[in-house]
Amino acid sequence: MKTETVAMILAGGQGSRLGKLTKQIAKPAVPFGGNYRIIDFALSNCANSGFNDVAVVTQYQPLVLNRHVGNGSSWGLNRHNGGATILQPYSSVDGEKFFKGTAHAVYQNIDYINQKNPEYVVILSGDHIYKMDYEKMLDYHKKQGASLTVGVIPVPWEEASRFGVMNTDKTDRIIEFQEKPENPKSNLASMGIYIFTWARLKQYLSDSQSKSRHMDDFGHDVLPAYLRNSESIFAYSFEGYWKDVGTIESLWSANMEFIDPNHELNIRDRDWRVYSKNPNTTPQFLTETARVENSMITDGCYIAGEVNHSILSHNVKVGKNSVVKDSFIMPNAVIGENVTIEKAIVGEGARIYDDTELIGTEKEIAVVGYGEEVGGYSDEK
Amino acid sequence: MRNKIAPILNLVEFEDKLKPLTNRRPVASLPFACRYRLIDFPFSSLYNAEAESAALFISGSGHSLYDHIRSGSVWGLDSLVGGGVFTHSQVKLKSSRSGDTKHDPFYYEDHYNYVTKSKADYVVMMGSSLLSNIQIKSLMQFHNDKNSEVTVVYKKVLRSELIKDTVHSALILNNENSGAVEAVKDIATMDNGESLYLNMETMIIEKKTFLDYLQKARTDDMDINVDNFIQYTLEMERPIYGYEYTGYLKAIEDIKSYYDANMDMLDEDNFNALFYRADPVRTRSKNSAPTYYGETAVIENAQFANDCEIFGTVKNSLVFRKVTVGENAHIESSIIMQDSVIEEDTYLKHVILDKHVYVKKGARLEGTPDNPIVISKNGVVYAKGEIEKG
Repeated sequence: MKTETVAMILAGGQGSRLGKLTKQIAKPAVPFGGNYRIIDFALSNCANSGFNDVAVVTQYQPLVLNRHVGNGSSWGLNRHNGGATILQPYSSVDGEKFFKGTAHAVYQNIDYINQKNPEYVVILSGDHIYKMDYEKMLDYHKKQGASLTVGVIPVPWEEASRFGVMNTDKTDRIIEFQEKPENPKSNLASMGIYIFTWARLKQYLSDSQSKSRHMDDFGHDVLPAYLRNSESIFAYSFEGYWKDVGTIESLWSANMEFIDPNHELNIRDRDWRVYSKNPNTTPQFLTETARVENSMITDGCYIAGEVNHSILSHNVKVGKNSVVKDSFIMPNAVIGENVTIEKAIVGEGARIYDDTELIGTEKEIAVVGYGEEVGGYSDEK
Repeated sequence: MRNKIAPILNLVEFEDKLKPLTNRRPVASLPFACRYRLIDFPFSSLYNAEAESAALFISGSGHSLYDHIRSGSVWGLDSLVGGGVFTHSQVKLKSSRSGDTKHDPFYYEDHYNYVTKSKADYVVMMGSSLLSNIQIKSLMQFHNDKNSEVTVVYKKVLRSELIKDTVHSALILNNENSGAVEAVKDIATMDNGESLYLNMETMIIEKKTFLDYLQKARTDDMDINVDNFIQYTLEMERPIYGYEYTGYLKAIEDIKSYYDANMDMLDEDNFNALFYRADPVRTRSKNSAPTYYGETAVIENAQFANDCEIFGTVKNSLVFRKVTVGENAHIESSIIMQDSVIEEDTYLKHVILDKHVYVKKGARLEGTPDNPIVISKNGVVYAKGEIEKG
């Protein structure tokens, strides 16, 4: 069977605004919502949209991400000819192939796409929280006979200047693109989702190399070139929950929203599941002294303290007389006794020793890095 | 470690007293401790011993078991080189059609083919109804140190820890230090209060010894099981030793022992003994969301799997995946299996709900610790007390 569509999830970004949370791992691999990593949303969307050929393009600190994605079996992507493939920079006779930008990353992996020889290439970013049926967008792309369709979402006008915005005509054709404009002409923000008709894009990317015109970034280079050349570019408007979790505060607030059992994402919807790699671990053990309220807790947790409006990822331990409030605790963190944690993000495998206070505010969330140790005996005390 | 063992799991186990839980599943696929099935324990022992393949003998169709095991990849049994889960179902049905003999010829042939083709040095026989977490590597080391041909795992227990008419047997040892086995004895005939060496029906056997026995079993038309094997080894005067297991053990033979085994897990020492030892217990993990505990939830000493939504009170209980507990529901000392719904204003104490049971608003059920009420799969419990069977 011929491959119609190849999805490329660009997961190479560092996400530097997440500070120490992305020091050792790439942003798409950052844990989210107790049982997930950020990239699970894009991967699950691919699986639920019926895409079988999904490439995850990694570069920055790829170890955790590569292990997580594996052969894609957690998302049912290990089928027949297709499946999940991890693409990483490599060196060849042409020199090293480190990625200079989003479009460059795709160009460097042109061999993979050529092997599949698809009709369409879907470009996705691995760092947003949302549920979206890409197939509907693909149908729209086909119907319009577009050479490029850009996924857009209406944002409040006052926030539009933080995004790349698409100015469209009455037929939803994109006529202008403004990158983080001071005076936006539109409130349709680019979601970083592009569907390209492959033959056309391939030409642009290949030609740019021979003509030394740089086509490094989709937003910065490719889109303007398409506009200049009067390619037919359409905006596909998405309505629904979509969240960029690029900062500590937005990661924290997205997690806090996620606790709500009536959250728009409807995580328990059996018809559009969010899949993840599930660890092998024990049941959740809540002891006689545990108090748990309005919280999400994951397998492997052991709780003897109080948990209020928080998310505990797998294998988190909370000791007696400790209080965890308005916080997101990543997998394998250990919280001792008499600890107070409020408005915080605690990294994977962190250890918070007995009698420690860790209190943030909504403007400045307290953050503990991966494997970091807080409290206990130290010279600073 | 090179693959050295050919595991044979005898899952034709005594299940009558576990009905209705075993109406449509073998003992091996009984759900346990929120997210496991009993087969996970022997399988995890095999995983930790780096076994590459396993042969299963099942009395029924094994549907629920196959659904759980799939390719065996969770336990590392799916390698393209030397791997595989070799299943042999309907052992009882096939035997019943074999006319004058107890077993049909394939019963022996299946064992023979598996063991000879596996290139193993040892055969390991196991079951699933004696819940434990055995380290096969230590067992093998003991076996080799003793220059044994057959080594049987036992645990020192009191007669009172087993049910009155238990089907299990005890080892009679020459003396505890040497560990040499002298005989096997039915426990049902023994007096209460006696301490004994429970035969855990797990053994390691030299391949050649196993094949010799197979020949004999075929000639005499005998069951291939641990007790017969011990008998044979003693008759042939081959070296046979007992290996002492000191971890958590429960013989699951009836509803009460099944209930108690689950309740045992609420005791941290037991829980840790079974789950937090060097070798983890592996199970097929399903895709799931975290469990949500609402503002009205009151939890006291209880265990849960992922994907539940809890708004009521849960005390001293075990709750499996995808269970909903409504506001003002009170669940105490109970086992709630996956997909069950407990509506608001309900009361359950000493109850076992099998999968996908619906407890309607206002319903009350109260059993006793010795005689918990069991609601079978797909059942519905109404407010006025009537129970619709699933």
